[in-house]
Amino acid sequence: MNKSLWFAVPAVIFTLLVVFLFQGLFGDPRERDSMVQGQPLPPFSLPDLMDWETYYTEQSLLGEVTILNVWGVWCVTCAVELPYLTQLREQQGVRFVGLYYDQDLDPDFGTKTLERVRGEVSQMLRRLGDPYQFQIFDVVRDYSLDLGVTGAPEHFVIDKRGHIRMHHVGDINERVWKHKIKPLYEQLLNEPKLAVQP
Amino acid sequence: MKIIDFSIIVKMSVVLLMTSCMALAQVQPTENSPTKESLDSYQFSSEAQRQTFLSLTAELRCPMCQNQNIADSDAMIAHDMRRKVYQLLQQGRSEQDVINFMKQRYGDFVHYQPPVTAYTMWLWLLPVVFAVVALLAITRKRNTQSTTDIDEKLAEADKLLARED
Repeated sequence: MNKSLWFAVPAVIFTLLVVFLFQGLFGDPRERDSMVQGQPLPPFSLPDLMDWETYYTEQSLLGEVTILNVWGVWCVTCAVELPYLTQLREQQGVRFVGLYYDQDLDPDFGTKTLERVRGEVSQMLRRLGDPYQFQIFDVVRDYSLDLGVTGAPEHFVIDKRGHIRMHHVGDINERVWKHKIKPLYEQLLNEPKLAVQP
Repeated sequence: MKIIDFSIIVKMSVVLLMTSCMALAQVQPTENSPTKESLDSYQFSSEAQRQTFLSLTAELRCPMCQNQNIADSDAMIAHDMRRKVYQLLQQGRSEQDVINFMKQRYGDFVHYQPPVTAYTMWLWLLPVVFAVVALLAITRKRNTQSTTDIDEKLAEADKLLARED
């Protein structure tokens, strides 16, 4: 029997095992493929956070490149990114739409009034900056579930045809914007407004 | 005897790989009972429906908190998913419908029973492959070893005889 083979086979298996386990040390177990990426926005009909009379649907986001920002006043990272998002809006004209959901406004054990939620939101936006064109209020957090949201902040980059092109979990800071989101955002700005009808 | 040393290494790595593969393939949901809150806050029309709810929340995995099912987790997303499971069951949807609903939104990750795909197939195949390879290696080595042993001994005997002459 070939002696070098007896050495090579376990060595190769061992090396593969080491490589597999080693890369596991640096992998992010929270990172998962988004199910909505490349899909059209799931249908919804939700009110404006500040104005109960205005309703939005998935049609409301057609025609422009939008970054849908899932957030809430209870979320610390969201508060951290607000000034930077505001800066992006003011300096580069980036279009942010908020998808707001409240933690304490539990559909089963509601404890908070709508007025209080609105008060907290406007107070925070006055203090840290307001990047939003408008804010959609995910009243019972159903829509977040449809989008596969697991927490806040999360961002969805939506193209002019209303398709989700990127699902970014976590905040947007200078590094993320420059390397991950800005290239796609600018590419989407150059896409034609109307899709070719199939 | 160098050959024997390597065969031990082969056997050990086979055992190691087999156990780790089997551990991966047999990820089972924890059988803990759901938290009190979810039991108390949901009303069911029948015992069967209640059991479906309990088993579903035990086998659906919380996407936020890595290794908890949605029955055990207190994360907000788990609350919301429990409520959704309840709503869907109240609408008369089947157990499989609820699982599909969650998978559509959170991927295969959300269910503790991994589906057999080209990617996950290896969880079941690899242990079998390693067992077969190990068996082949052991039987083949035995056959070759016995003949070389005899050849070597004969050669040695011949040498001794030649020296005595």
